[in-house]
Amino acid sequence: MIYFYDGTKDAFLTAFLIAYPDEDAVLVSHAAQLSIGQRSVFVCADRERARRAEARLKELDKDCLHELDLLLRSGQEDRDAVAFGYFKLIAARGCPVRKMLAEDAVAAAEECIRRVEFEIHRFHGFLRFMECESGALYAPFSPDNDICDLLVPHFRTRLCEFPFVIHDVGRKKAAVFDGKHVFTAPLERAELALSSDEEAWQDLWKKYYKSVNIPSRERLKQMRGYMPVRYWKFIPEKREGS
Amino acid sequence: MQARKKLPNKSFQILKQTFDIPARACYNMVMIATEKLKILTESAKYDVSCSSSGSARKNEGGIGNGYIAGCCHSFTPDGRCISLLKILLSNDCIFRCKYCMSRADADTPRATATPEEICELTIDFYKRNYIEGLFLSSAVVRSPDFAMEQLLLTVKKLRTEYNFHGYIHLKGIPRADPLLVHEAALYADRMSYNIELPTEASLQLLAPQKSKQSLLAPMRQLQRERRIFREEKRKGHFLPAGQTTQLIVGASPEPDGQILRLTQSLYRTAELKRVYFSSYVPVVHDALLPDTPAGSLREHRLYQADWLLRFYGFSAEELIEEDGNLSPDFDPKCAWALSHMQFFPVEVNRAPLEVLLRVPGIGARSAYKIMEARRYTKLTFEDLKKMRVVLKRARHFITANGKFYGSEGEAKIRGLLAAGERAAQATQLSLFSDPETARSALSGEL
Repeated sequence: MIYFYDGTKDAFLTAFLIAYPDEDAVLVSHAAQLSIGQRSVFVCADRERARRAEARLKELDKDCLHELDLLLRSGQEDRDAVAFGYFKLIAARGCPVRKMLAEDAVAAAEECIRRVEFEIHRFHGFLRFMECESGALYAPFSPDNDICDLLVPHFRTRLCEFPFVIHDVGRKKAAVFDGKHVFTAPLERAELALSSDEEAWQDLWKKYYKSVNIPSRERLKQMRGYMPVRYWKFIPEKREGS
Repeated sequence: MQARKKLPNKSFQILKQTFDIPARACYNMVMIATEKLKILTESAKYDVSCSSSGSARKNEGGIGNGYIAGCCHSFTPDGRCISLLKILLSNDCIFRCKYCMSRADADTPRATATPEEICELTIDFYKRNYIEGLFLSSAVVRSPDFAMEQLLLTVKKLRTEYNFHGYIHLKGIPRADPLLVHEAALYADRMSYNIELPTEASLQLLAPQKSKQSLLAPMRQLQRERRIFREEKRKGHFLPAGQTTQLIVGASPEPDGQILRLTQSLYRTAELKRVYFSSYVPVVHDALLPDTPAGSLREHRLYQADWLLRFYGFSAEELIEEDGNLSPDFDPKCAWALSHMQFFPVEVNRAPLEVLLRVPGIGARSAYKIMEARRYTKLTFEDLKKMRVVLKRARHFITANGKFYGSEGEAKIRGLLAAGERAAQATQLSLFSDPETARSALSGEL
């Protein structure tokens, strides 16, 4: 049986409770091709059941709900299967399993979580803010995983005097810090007026980037390995034409 | 099947709300001239130190904080990371170090930035998340004391007037007054004096105004003062990220062994956080200097050995080959293992951590994974593969649950591993920019 759900935590937990006894259960949160004769249901989030599952899982492993949050944020196609497999193992063993790295389910979950966390770390470095006329900062980006709100705490402590918007252009949502509060909101396109010297600072940065390079030691493959090309679109020094 | 929510076009509203809130008052704008930035960056870029780790400085009402693990913000086409804004305050030098492009008798454009220009640049780059902080160095302008004073003035201004709490790496000027050095350490996260050449003789020859003493004395002073500061738990900061240094490889004739032993003693007795190696690039032509660049392979091997010293419990003496150098054919751990085959193979299910760390191909992360996973099950080769432990080299040195999948005999393993190294180098041709290594990678001859 295929269990469709909407990708949220509560829906996952509800689906988990329903699908757990089913040996051939597959959890899916995106469009999927059904094979002939395969049956499917759509599971809606049931808050009460979700809370119950949450409380029980917390008893078994107090850190696993944080891992669930990260797993469901993954951009990996098979994230639902990975999360389901991992939580099935926790339920079956009745204890934390994260260190049983020789288990397929654990290895897969660990790898998936590592990717999400690594992308968060990468964007602590690769996110680029632009200054708006009012002094607020705006950073568009397009990450593999759904992480825009997880970047906020880092930038909030270091740029506490600046309101900022971190815009996940692909998922059309934004994490906003207005100087006091943090919230996320759907955001399709940002219309903004940049400050008068924003362009000059960007040019200066590009000049710096060019000057600090040692051309006689070119290692392009290494550069691309560290800073994947798919991120370049929002990085001024790597954008085409610069 | 994802329930597609219709997205209301609230964008304008949200941004309007957010962007209408005025941020703090702007500073007087002082933007550094492009040409000046270019000159001061190009003279700073051969310093290889790039890290921004080791400081947990808090944002005390202003801009910026430390990031204990460090953070890379960009990567240049030479494969190096940009973490800090690496720049000189001035390249107008009175010293005449032969290898340096800013030396007094060089015909090169000169520039000097004002402290305000550096501060503004740092703040504006930092705010846009281009950089993790400032790496400030300077040529010896007028006198060592004057240069050090200017550096101190700049970082003090940045910390106190601009309220910057991000990372600052400050270069020390040799022969500057100890009081200036002490004060600078109260504002910087990390300071470094570049030893550059591993022996007094080479220093005398190539950097006549520097001496071992002029470099080691301030390093010892900072080490002593930092220890006292920590023991007495004084308020504020004193070099939270410690000290580092840099050695040029290939400008003078010292073998790897001498460099590595010096490195080891710097870690053990001078408590340095890092020693960087910079393979020599001839930017200056001088009869006393080699005209060819030192291959990046040598630098690479030294860094591999440096890691083994710091994280894997090796000593310099164990790693140096009979001829006083590191093996160019094998990475230093592999070379060590091949000459100590009597210790191998080890059983991954029983070997203690320090033994696992000595297996070629098993790094700190893999060793940790093995330690954790084997508490629950007897690990087999399939399990190791699943855990993404790289077995290409390791399989010759381990057994998993009693089974051995490597080759017997040191000579055979040597051959296999050397062929692997060569193949790896051949595919990474672009890594080696100097013609000699490129040729050897093409021909397969080392």
